[in-house]
Amino acid sequence: MVATSHDVMLDIELYQPTDEANALALAASLGKDGWLLGGGQDTYGWVKDRNKSATAMIELTQVDAWKGIKETSDGIEIGAVTTLTEISKNPLVKEKFALLAKAAGVVASPQIRNVGTLAGNLAQDARCWYYRRGLDCYRAGGNICYADSPEGLNREHAIFGASRCVAVSPSDTAPALVALDATMVISSAKGQRLVSAQDFFVGPDVNITSMTALEEGEILTAVRLPNEWANAEYYFEKVADRNVWDFALVSISAAMKVSNGVIEDSRIACGAVECVPRRLDDVENALRGQQRSEQLAERVASIASQGAEPLNYNHFKIPLIENLVKRAVRG
Amino acid sequence: MGEIVRYKRDVWGEEVILGVSWDLLWVVAVAVLVLLAAHAIVMAVLANKKMDKPSGEGKRVVRHEAIDRWFHWLMALSIFALILTGIAPIVGLRFAWLNWHWMAGLLLSFITLVHIVRSLFWQDFKSMILGPRDFAEPFDSTRLPGKYSFEQKGMHWAVTVVVMTVIATGLLMFLQIDSPFWERTNSMPESQLGLVFLLHGLSTLALVALASTHIYFAIRPEKLFYTRSMFKGWISEDEMKANHDPNLWSPKQAD
Ligand SMILES: Cc1cc2nc3c(=O)[nH]c(=O)nc-3n(C[C@H](O)[C@H](O)[C@H](O)COP(=O)(O)OP(=O)(O)OC[C@H]3O[C@@H](n4cnc5c(N)ncnc54)[C@H](O)[C@@H]3O)c2cc1C
Ligand code: SF4
Repeated sequence: MVATSHDVMLDIELYQPTDEANALALAASLGKDGWLLGGGQDTYGWVKDRNKSATAMIELTQVDAWKGIKETSDGIEIGAVTTLTEISKNPLVKEKFALLAKAAGVVASPQIRNVGTLAGNLAQDARCWYYRRGLDCYRAGGNICYADSPEGLNREHAIFGASRCVAVSPSDTAPALVALDATMVISSAKGQRLVSAQDFFVGPDVNITSMTALEEGEILTAVRLPNEWANAEYYFEKVADRNVWDFALVSISAAMKVSNGVIEDSRIACGAVECVPRRLDDVENALRGQQRSEQLAERVASIASQGAEPLNYNHFKIPLIENLVKRAVRG
Repeated sequence: MGEIVRYKRDVWGEEVILGVSWDLLWVVAVAVLVLLAAHAIVMAVLANKKMDKPSGEGKRVVRHEAIDRWFHWLMALSIFALILTGIAPIVGLRFAWLNWHWMAGLLLSFITLVHIVRSLFWQDFKSMILGPRDFAEPFDSTRLPGKYSFEQKGMHWAVTVVVMTVIATGLLMFLQIDSPFWERTNSMPESQLGLVFLLHGLSTLALVALASTHIYFAIRPEKLFYTRSMFKGWISEDEMKANHDPNLWSPKQAD
């Protein structure tokens, strides 16, 4: 294994910009040497274990423009360095987008939520332990996957959409944002671009070493939630081995427009089953215009697991996703 | 210049080969550009001295059967697709390349197999053999080749070695990923896997160089009639006599 000395703290240059322009200029000039830092809850694990590091870190939490939650003409905008605690407790979020408040409120533990930022939660790295242990697997730029091997421990890994790497998207807020059709505001010294939440997350088929569409020098600065899905009927559930301080084995985030028992439209996304939040388009199509019923729930549940390719130790995720879909449809 | 081979630690912490260093891609690209540009300049200078170009009019002889032309263009397509899908992610273009890559690889393997069988049993295999006589050809302007010139044979055998290496290593790599035909076993020792990746990378670089050189010669004015024959199948009798020895190559008349 990689020889590790924990005796001396690593020599890392720390930048603490307080305004947007400065932060963006630093991100541009430092490029891949400038590790963006939110609350550090993902970062410090890497650094502590000496398995990833950087020569410089740009702490973003002092840029006020990227903090807080405000109402806009078409919904709300959440600054990307707002903490998860703030999001889960914010009255506006709770009133209009309770799905996100709930998802943010079950992330990890209160301590982590107090400092962990929305951007950090969305851009956090894969939680596969082979990778986290510092092994040179595909995701680390290598040429092998240790998790999907005859002896590999892959209970937490993907059942859909794997391409060489079978790690899953670990974020609880990510599927909620996909279900709410959020837009990510990505800024850089060159300007700003908007990316839908669904396209923000990237699978290993497209980029095996990064889980998001963020490029070098880019910072996620805000997340916009459109009123289109405000106050819809929401269902969120996260199944994990422990109630706190643990990642999802499978989670579901559903937003449905229901009128007189008829599901007029819906957006449903699952976490921890694929490398990106898995949008259940086929389930949504099957639900559209249907009267809510137990039979409907049964029928669409099996659609949710179609195409699943479980690994040695994660077959249990198939009934899990089916049951979560049933519960979401039942409401 | 950076390294040629990249290394990593295997699961036991031992240093093993990871693959080729992709810095070499730029080295190959620059080297090929410089060499071809130099060739183009020399040819432009020489062009002022001798300029009797054989006519493409008149009687025609068959150079490539339709099936061989199909083979050539399908092979070109699959190699082009392989290079594009293989190199794009290395230079930072993001798309789901892997499935296209192995599909192009399978196409190339299949066509190559068909070509080998056809060349052994139905084509004049001897016309492609590179013998001692061929090596004298570039130094003696009175010697004309049979069906294929020294350069053409040289290019063919270089491509053969490189393509066979790409295919063999590519198929071994294909076994290491999930596909519609099997589930990966991930059973190859990491040191061997690294060697396979290295050979695949080196042969890819060679293929980039050979493909660029091949395209360059295919569009050179004095060789354009060969390229035309790869589309239409024929060259004129005039072109044949100016570039080939009729005693060594006696093709059929074209319709
Ligand atoms: C014990 C434990 C349990 C956990 N359980 C859960 C859980 O149940 N559910 C869950 O969802 N997560 C869980 N996590 C992950 C945790 O929630 C995230 O690590 C945390 O939210 C990250 O936020 P942060 O601001 O601290 O991120 P940081 O560590 O600061 O950053 C994380 C990554 O995002 C990048 N980044 C940060 N800000 C930006 C930005 N503005 N723009 C672009 N990139 C940026 C960083 O460069 C880094 O790569 C757990 C973590 C631990 C340690
Ligand atoms: S699942 Fe991905 S991160 Fe884990 S070992 Fe395989 S390639 Fe690495």
